Amino acid sequence: MSGNGAGDRVTLTIDGRQVSVPPGTTILQAAETVGTRVPHYCYHPGLSSPAQCRLCLVEVEGAPKLSPSCVTAVQEGQVVYTESERAKSMRQGVLEFYLANHPLDCPICDQSGECKLQDYVFAEGRKHGRSREPKRVFGRDDFGGDVLFYGDRCVMCTRCVRFMDEVAQDPLLTVVERGNRSIIDTFFEEGVEGSPYAGNIVDICPVGALVSKDFLHKARAWDLEHTPSVCPGCAQGCNIDLHTRDNAVHRLKPRLNPDVNGHWMCDYGRHRYEWMNRPDRLTEPRTGAPGEQRPVEWTGAIELAVQGLREALERGDGVLAIASPFASNEDLAQLRALVALLGDGEIVYRSPRAEEEIPLPGFERLSRRRDLAPNSGGADRLGMKRVGTDDASGGLEVARDHEGILVVVGDELTDLDEAFGERASCYLYLGSYPTAGAHSADAILPITTFAEQEGSFTNFEGRVQRFWPGLTPAGSSRPAWSVLGLLAASISHDEVAPTGTDQAFERFSRLVEDFIGLDFASIGTRGAKRDPALQGAEGG
Amino acid sequence: MAATVKVMRRPSEGSSSYLRATLKGMAITFKHMINPTKVTLEYPEERPEISPRWRGTHVMETHADGRPKCVACGLCPTVCPANCIRLVGGEDDMGNRYPIVYEIDEFRCIFCGMCQEVCPVEAIHVGVHFENSEYTRERFVYDLDRLMAQDHPSTLLWDPSDPVSE
Repeated sequence: MSGNGAGDRVTLTIDGRQVSVPPGTTILQAAETVGTRVPHYCYHPGLSSPAQCRLCLVEVEGAPKLSPSCVTAVQEGQVVYTESERAKSMRQGVLEFYLANHPLDCPICDQSGECKLQDYVFAEGRKHGRSREPKRVFGRDDFGGDVLFYGDRCVMCTRCVRFMDEVAQDPLLTVVERGNRSIIDTFFEEGVEGSPYAGNIVDICPVGALVSKDFLHKARAWDLEHTPSVCPGCAQGCNIDLHTRDNAVHRLKPRLNPDVNGHWMCDYGRHRYEWMNRPDRLTEPRTGAPGEQRPVEWTGAIELAVQGLREALERGDGVLAIASPFASNEDLAQLRALVALLGDGEIVYRSPRAEEEIPLPGFERLSRRRDLAPNSGGADRLGMKRVGTDDASGGLEVARDHEGILVVVGDELTDLDEAFGERASCYLYLGSYPTAGAHSADAILPITTFAEQEGSFTNFEGRVQRFWPGLTPAGSSRPAWSVLGLLAASISHDEVAPTGTDQAFERFSRLVEDFIGLDFASIGTRGAKRDPALQGAEGG
Repeated sequence: MAATVKVMRRPSEGSSSYLRATLKGMAITFKHMINPTKVTLEYPEERPEISPRWRGTHVMETHADGRPKCVACGLCPTVCPANCIRLVGGEDDMGNRYPIVYEIDEFRCIFCGMCQEVCPVEAIHVGVHFENSEYTRERFVYDLDRLMAQDHPSTLLWDPSDPVSE
C-alpha cells in the first residue's frame, strides 16, 4: 500500500509538513503529532466523534468541501491545510454562530480562563458580533450531585451525553428539543447524583455550561497553580493535578495517564481534598513528660529521641512500629530501615476499606478500589502487615501496651486515648495532626503530608508513581523519611541520612525486590512498573 | 606641595548698614499685601480645584438597592501591578456571583487606575479625592463597606462624551 517503504504508516502533508502516522488515524490526531492543534469541541480523545461541532473543518486538497478532521482518516499523499483562508473563514463563521446564543458573561463564569470558546474567539473570532436577535435564555439547572448546568453557555458539543453513554455507561443525560432550542437535560427529576463518575462531565465541558458546585466562584482558573500528583483516595492511584492557591488545595483534576486512569477520575477521590487544607497541624517538634511536651528545636528533639532509643536498645527492648498507608514509599522504607537497626520488630499499618469496588465500565483499567489508601501497595511490598478493621480502627491492642520502643509514623490514632504508649520505654510519634494518642510520646515530631512533599506511591498493581509538593509545609514539619533518616544515622555509624527524595528512593529500590530496577528520575509523571522480565533474571 | 590660598577681603568698609536691603525686602512684602497675585491656598478653608481625571482613593459603585456592582470576576486583582486588591468570590442570597471579601490596600496602591479600566461592570473606580489621613496603617485597608460608603466623585479615565473611544 505505502510506496515509501515505511511499512504500516501513511504519509501526508499537513500545513506543508510531512507527517507519518499509522493508517486509521484521523487528520486531527495526525496534526497533533506535529504540534498543530485544530480547534474542536465535540471531539474528545476519550470519546467517540460525532463531528457535529463543525469547528475542526480543514481543507483537504482534492476534496470539494472542507472535511471534519476529527473523523476523516488520513490517506496516503493527502495534502491538508488547517490555516488556509477557507478553513479560517469557516471557523470564524462557526464561532460567530456559537456567539449568537452564548452569553458574554465571562466575568461571572467559572470556566473563564480555561474556556475553549474564549480561547478560540480570542484567537480567530470576529471583533464585534453582528447578531441583533435576542439570545435564548435557559437559566441555571441543578443536575444533581456536584454538577450545575448553565444552559445559556452550552455549545451543544454533547461530550457530557457521550461520556455518560459510553464511558460511565449510565445514560442519565440527553439532548431535548431541536435546532436552536436544543439543550442538554436530565430525565425528569433524576439527576446525575447516582453516577460515581459524573464529575468528569465538568472536566470535559469545553465551556462553562457544566460547572462544579464545590468549586463555584471559588477561584479563577488563572490564579491556580497546577502540581502533578497522585490521588490519595484509593489504591488505584489516579494521576491528578493539585490546583492550589494561597497555599490551599482548591480542586483536584485528573491528569492524563492511559496506563492508569485515562482522562478520568472518580467523584470519591475528586471531593476528598479538604483534609489537605486542615489547619490543626503539628507545626514544631515537642518533647517532655506525658501531656507536658514543650516546643523545641529540631536538633534538640532528634538528640532526645536518639538518646531514648539508645537507652532502650541497651536494655534490649523490643521494637514495634505503626506505619500509615498514606505515607510515601520513601517514608515507609526509611521506617523499615530504622526498625531493622533497632532490632527488627514488627511494622503494622491500618487502612480503610470500602464495601466494594466502583468500576468505570467504559475504561476497564480504572476502578475505585476497595482499598481506600494510596500506598498500601508500598507498605505490603515493604513487608508491613495490615491490622484492624475496614474503617481503619482497632488492631493496636498489642501496641497500646507495648513495653519496648514504639514508633508511630503518620497514623492519626483517632480511636485511641491518652493511655496509648504509656508503658513504652521510648515512644516516638511522627505525625501531622495533634492527637490524644500522642499524649505519652517522648517526642512528637511533625511531618509533612503527601501534598507538601515529594515522593512516590505504589498502587494496587505495583506501579510506582511520583507526586510533587503543591503546598508549603506547615510550620517546621519535615518529610518523615528525612526525620527517620536522621534518627537512623544518629544511632548507627553505618547509616547515612538521605539528603533528597531521590536518595531516599534509591536506598530501598536497590534492596526491596519489588522495586529493583526502578529509577526515581526516570519514573517521570507517568509512573513505572517493575519489568516482570527482570524478576526472573535477578531471582538467582 | 602647599595649596594655593586666595585671600578674599570682606566688603565691609563704607556699607556697614543693612537698612537698604531690609527696606527693599519689606517693600515687596507690603506690595503683596496690597495687591496679591495669590499662589497660596488657605487650606482647609479654601479647597483646591482638582482635575476630574485625578486618580485618588477608590470608590465602589452600587446598584439602586445598595448592593455593590462588583461581580467578583477577579480581573482587578489580576491586573493590579501593586498587588493591592484582595478578592474572595462567592454567591449572594440571590444566586449571583458576589465578592465576599473585597479589600484594597490604599497604601500599596499606586493609583494607576487599571482596576477601573479593566472592570467589566464599572464597579470599582479610582476617585477624585486626596484627603486621606488615619491614625493607624490598618485603616488604609479599605473593605467593601468602606469602599461603597465613599462619597467623592469617580475619576473620568476617558472622555465622557465618547466613553468607548469610537
